[in-house]
Amino acid sequence: MTTRSNTQGDPESTGVHTSIPGRIAFLLSILGVLVSAYLTYEHYTDSATLACSDNGAVNCLKVTTSPWSEILGVPVAVTGLAYFLVMAVLCAPLPFTRHLEALRLVGVAAGTLMVLWLIYVELFKVDAICLWCTAIHLITLLLLGAVLWSRQTDLTDQ
Amino acid sequence: MSDPGQQTAPKGKGRSAVAAREHARQVKADRVKRERRRRLLLTVGAPVLVVVLVIVGFVVVKASRTPAVATGAAAAPAGTTLESALKNIPAATFDTVGSGTGVGAPTKVAGAALTADGKPRVLYIGAEFCPYCAGERWAVAAALSRFGTFSNLGATASASADIYPSTATLSFHGATYTSPLLSFTGVELTTNIPDKTSSYGYQLLDTPTAADQQTAQTYNPKGSIPLVDFGNKYVIAGASYDVGILQGMTQTQIAAQMAQTDSVVAQQVIGAANMMTAALCTMTGNQPAAVCKSTAVISVKLPS
Repeated sequence: MTTRSNTQGDPESTGVHTSIPGRIAFLLSILGVLVSAYLTYEHYTDSATLACSDNGAVNCLKVTTSPWSEILGVPVAVTGLAYFLVMAVLCAPLPFTRHLEALRLVGVAAGTLMVLWLIYVELFKVDAICLWCTAIHLITLLLLGAVLWSRQTDLTDQ
Repeated sequence: MSDPGQQTAPKGKGRSAVAAREHARQVKADRVKRERRRRLLLTVGAPVLVVVLVIVGFVVVKASRTPAVATGAAAAPAGTTLESALKNIPAATFDTVGSGTGVGAPTKVAGAALTADGKPRVLYIGAEFCPYCAGERWAVAAALSRFGTFSNLGATASASADIYPSTATLSFHGATYTSPLLSFTGVELTTNIPDKTSSYGYQLLDTPTAADQQTAQTYNPKGSIPLVDFGNKYVIAGASYDVGILQGMTQTQIAAQMAQTDSVVAQQVIGAANMMTAALCTMTGNQPAAVCKSTAVISVKLPS
């Protein structure tokens, strides 16, 4: 007779959250961490090595050095980094994250609202688009979809 | 022994019943699958679609907007109507607004008195492309108009490719200021017309004298603009208020808003003008009294 060990990673026995959309959400969060870490680095090094156009409608420098690049003294890039780190933990394939559905939903809702505000600021206040910021916006939007998909999958499985 | 013919009929019926049940199960499974897909589309697709539509809405509104004022062109005369509107802002308007809201105070400095023609001198250094200068000029012009008269003011806008794009403003380039109490030097370093060969990125306009450059360097080593030096007694480096409040307005609209004491524009522009007026009063020995002893000036607290 054989017995199945928990170390084999059976989702049911370990309680690990391993649905496909769950894994996609985790990977998107990690991607968000990487991009926002890069933008944070650029923020604290005066955007000296920012790989992006700096004139015309696409102008990362204009966006990342504008007065709106900080909220209450905290750089938006740092806020983004903290946000994706939290989302990465919430979406991680770990036993305790299985029961954090509500927090994940609140997280993506807050992230989506922030993205809408930042796009508004880019278009109507700064009058320039930052491609790296757009990448973050896209990741957040995809994260919204992945978390909602994951939730729907969980509900269907129950 | 039973008749084989009689045995076949029930077997056939059994098979067709099984097939029917299988078919029904298949139909049910398909229906469940379709329902799942529909729910997934609704719960995932609908919120994402709403967000995408909001973003598309932003882009459409942005694309349909045109600047309120022309930019990338030489300043046009502001005209006597606008000059008169600035000159004739009622004292009650200044008094009602007082220190306003969100207005920064000038910095107190102690340099040798800045003078010209035997009068204390105000030195302004800015540029037509500069959005912060665009905001500051309104307050400077309103404050100085209480001590004298501007003529030949220009009407222009900050650069369309900079922050607070195309902010409607005045230009001190070519303007004249006459006052029995004060002298004014307005330096506009550049136009708002892009020029890649210029060190500022815009066509060069006025050149400050070596002495004014030295003064600017002393009180504003970073060289940021605008710089307003009130006779070497007070200095403002940068904008005194949030220039973004002027976005989308024409010169006429800004002047009209300045007269409405409860408007955001009046609270910030007139508030900043009162702060500057208080600094100017320290230069003129509190003359004229009607201005320097007014509620507006008394309500303002300058750094000591």
